[in-house]
Amino acid sequence: MSLTDLRPAARHSAPPPPPGKTKHWLYRFDIKTIPYVFISPFFILFAIFGVFPLIFNGIVALRTWRLDDRSLDGWAGFANFERLLTDEDFWNALGNTFGIFILSTVPQLLAALIIANLLNRKLRATTFWRIGILLPYLTPVVASTLVFAIFFARDNGLANWFLSLVGFGQETPLDWRAQKWSAWIAIATMVNWKWIGYNALLYLSAMQSIPKDVYEAAAVDGASPWKQLWSITVPMIQPVVLFTVILSTIGGLQLFNEPMMFDENPQSASGGSDGQFQTIAQLIYKVGWKDLDLGYAASMSWALFLIILVVAGINFAATRRLGGGR
Amino acid sequence: MSTYVNRAPQDTRGTWTTYLGLTLVLLFSAFPVYWMFVISTSTDDAVAASPPALLPGAQFLVNAQEVFTLNEVYFAASLINSVLVSGIITAATLFFCSLAGFAFAKLRFKGRNALMVVVILTLTVPNQLGIVALYIVMGKLGWNNTLLAVIAPGLVSAFGVFYMRQFIAHAVPDELVESARIDGALTLRVYWNIVLPAIRPALAVLGLLTFVMAWNDFQWPLIQLNGTDYPTSMVALSDLASGNYVIYRRVLAGAFIATVPLIVLLLIGGRQIVRGIMEGAVKS
Amino acid sequence: MRRTVRAGLAGVAATLLIAGCSGQSLEGNDDASNGASGEQITLKVNFWGDMGLDALKAKYEKDHPNIKIALNSGEFNAQHEDLQKKLVAGSGAPDISAVDEGFIVQFRNQADKFVNLLDKGGADFQSKYLDWKWKASMSADGKQIGLGTDVGGLAMCYRSDLFEKAGLPKDRDAVSKLWTNWDDFIKVGQEYTKKTGKKFVDSGTNLFNPVLAQQPVGFYDEQENLQMDGGPKVAFDVSMKAIDAGISANLASFQPNWDQGFKKDQFAVLACPAWMLGHIQDTAPNQKGKWDIAAIPGGGGNWGGSWWTIPSQGKNIDAAADFVKWMVQPEQQIEVFKTVGNLPSQPALYKDPAVLDYKKEFMSNAPTGQIFAATAESLKPQYLGKKNGPTRVAVENVITRVQQGGLKSDAAWPEAVKQAEKVAKTAK
Repeated sequence: MSLTDLRPAARHSAPPPPPGKTKHWLYRFDIKTIPYVFISPFFILFAIFGVFPLIFNGIVALRTWRLDDRSLDGWAGFANFERLLTDEDFWNALGNTFGIFILSTVPQLLAALIIANLLNRKLRATTFWRIGILLPYLTPVVASTLVFAIFFARDNGLANWFLSLVGFGQETPLDWRAQKWSAWIAIATMVNWKWIGYNALLYLSAMQSIPKDVYEAAAVDGASPWKQLWSITVPMIQPVVLFTVILSTIGGLQLFNEPMMFDENPQSASGGSDGQFQTIAQLIYKVGWKDLDLGYAASMSWALFLIILVVAGINFAATRRLGGGR
Repeated sequence: MSTYVNRAPQDTRGTWTTYLGLTLVLLFSAFPVYWMFVISTSTDDAVAASPPALLPGAQFLVNAQEVFTLNEVYFAASLINSVLVSGIITAATLFFCSLAGFAFAKLRFKGRNALMVVVILTLTVPNQLGIVALYIVMGKLGWNNTLLAVIAPGLVSAFGVFYMRQFIAHAVPDELVESARIDGALTLRVYWNIVLPAIRPALAVLGLLTFVMAWNDFQWPLIQLNGTDYPTSMVALSDLASGNYVIYRRVLAGAFIATVPLIVLLLIGGRQIVRGIMEGAVKS
Repeated sequence: MRRTVRAGLAGVAATLLIAGCSGQSLEGNDDASNGASGEQITLKVNFWGDMGLDALKAKYEKDHPNIKIALNSGEFNAQHEDLQKKLVAGSGAPDISAVDEGFIVQFRNQADKFVNLLDKGGADFQSKYLDWKWKASMSADGKQIGLGTDVGGLAMCYRSDLFEKAGLPKDRDAVSKLWTNWDDFIKVGQEYTKKTGKKFVDSGTNLFNPVLAQQPVGFYDEQENLQMDGGPKVAFDVSMKAIDAGISANLASFQPNWDQGFKKDQFAVLACPAWMLGHIQDTAPNQKGKWDIAAIPGGGGNWGGSWWTIPSQGKNIDAAADFVKWMVQPEQQIEVFKTVGNLPSQPALYKDPAVLDYKKEFMSNAPTGQIFAATAESLKPQYLGKKNGPTRVAVENVITRVQQGGLKSDAAWPEAVKQAEKVAKTAK
């Protein structure tokens, strides 16, 4: 998919060049068309690998598509969406998704800010620290979730062992998967672990590009490092904070691997024995591939899509306002 | 009590609390990976030992040898495939995304803001069911069950475009672009001579993140490459981890080996990133 | 190994290609297909665990130089799901795929996506199979999508060393006599738990499943009506009783904790269909000679067992059909039985001395052939409804909730009914 392939197509939008004036033509082309050429690889690839699946899904969402009983296939109109409204599994999954989302996003971004601020100092062995915090991000999810699943095991799990060191859960070990709160904490821990260092690095690179004179000219005389962080640094890196807020919203609401591999009975995709930690992405997967109800699953993924849009929009607005943005 | 001066944080020396904090963070970050290493060096019993096994054993070579010699897993080949796949994806992403990011940040064209919103929106598309459609697309292209099917969707990323746009908007002064333009430089030259050098830190960061993400991706590669004799390392790893009975020392040895290239990359690229970040700071 | 195009061509084109494929194999006609004329063919076979195919592969490749068998063992659920996704997408499925009892209903409802083996000389096999095994892989309109590999049968595996320590009989006949029904079984368990302080069974769900398998009617009757008050109630009560008696270790099957439970002696018995033997052997190789097999309380039943199917999107369906027909021949079935323990689904083999006289060394030389053949022959086949799989999961989850302490055992049954009805309703 080279750039040269795309030029003829893109030329359509430019008016035909006046004869003889090559320079002029080139200039016009450069101004009018080049921007589209530059962004076209993204949109072309997205059209092929992103739009078609989306449309496909949209059509499927309006149909019943039952792998287990072909005789039920047909148009459903908005019946799938109506069914969503009264589906208690959907609402349960929605609650879980938001619960885990809040337990992971808020601590994650706060911790990342604080860590970035710690790293944003004159330090010995700077490289060592910066590399160290990226270690979780590097670790394959396949491997780390496996480790965490053992970590949060009921019998002989490391998490319970740590708890017992500080005097909890001696006689009956905590079954992390049994209640909502403990399962949410365990899953949020996995998410936080993976993404804190990554976000800290993004913040750090933004912090380092804040001009020093901003600090020197700061009105707050003798501000403590803590105050400096909140009153100068954070507002200055607001665009990046916004960026990470949106990213973790999108990632958090689509959470799938962690709850999936945390489940003792992954084949059911039920997110615990009573759906304690079933997220929406997991429910979509279950409805589609376990209950073989692809039409309904597609309508759920469209619902999730809309929810993400709304929440990301709200977060965007809120973060801008909190940061006192322009 | 010390008195504070209005000094930029990066000029402030770290105190012992800074180091204590960072040490705690590092322990938290490293422990699961360390424990993975411990298990990969141990015998079968270590996983469930109580009190837990916290020190490495002497079995690493034994376990590693099992990983590499296991039939139908193709572990060694999978590492090469992963380097290939992740390398191509990273190179393409850096190029395409910096181009698009530059256009969105510094060039004026009709529909710029609307198209940028579309880029961000694409991030929000959940992919649980899109997979079937994507598989059908690959089938039309005749790429199913090839490395190409794994590479193609990763060549650009909305994240990359977004990230590059944010970075270029701040790191490349408008005047620089304008003055080069007035001198008659074409946009491509501006990109090459002015934008690229200025965004090296961002390229290093995005390159590392993209490589890692491509390396660690497993759902789509698994669907495409499961059962072929040219898997990526994550597909080989999930092959190791499959079967009714999971042999942890073996799986985690495989996981550890598959993580080592990333750690090496970080050690090499990490300096680059750090230097890049520092440069960025000095410039502004 | 190139597995090319063909993929995206829909409808008409696909039919043409299938026609093309049959043409191609005609030229390499049946037995002559090992001749020089045949091009190199690779048959990809998907299955899970260990189905004893390594030796078969070597043998078949030796006799058929132009055929390469690519074995791809994966995780049980992942393999079924992979098959399903590729059937939907219309390409990418293996040439041959194993399908388990828990999934056969799902796939026989999509019979148009599989080769009808009746068209490939499969009809000759009907008389050789257990009747219910033959019917279970047949679609409503009479297409046969699979040839049976094994059946589960049911027995009770137990740790003779732990039994001895607890002062219980060690010998398999004496142990069988301890429990002719499930009440006795639970009493033995209580005794064991009292003496040793350890749990007796691995989990309540692993009692529920075998007990349900013994009932004449399972979750659904043949009219696809949910019948919770019949078999499921009986099985559910047994599992609740065992949990209340405190003899269950509450370990979810096939999960890390369960595997560790083996090693840490967290339970002393395990309901075992024939295919479980291979699993025990792999999980706890150093417990050789410590396991033995007794009769299961309540008599015969079936749990699990698989079929070989051939997705019709494949390029080499004739070669695949030949290989499948070869794999289910008595000679191969017996070899698989000996290496991994899977019990053949062809009753003639139950009389075969090679099966009858076989003793499993790992299981203290128990005559596994005799034990499982007897249970397989005496069992009452059960109809598995369309929604059998998800219904089972829903009820198992209720049992797990009781074990986790989130639900009282006396409130559990109404909840189980509610959850099962919820699943059944989605079928309509």
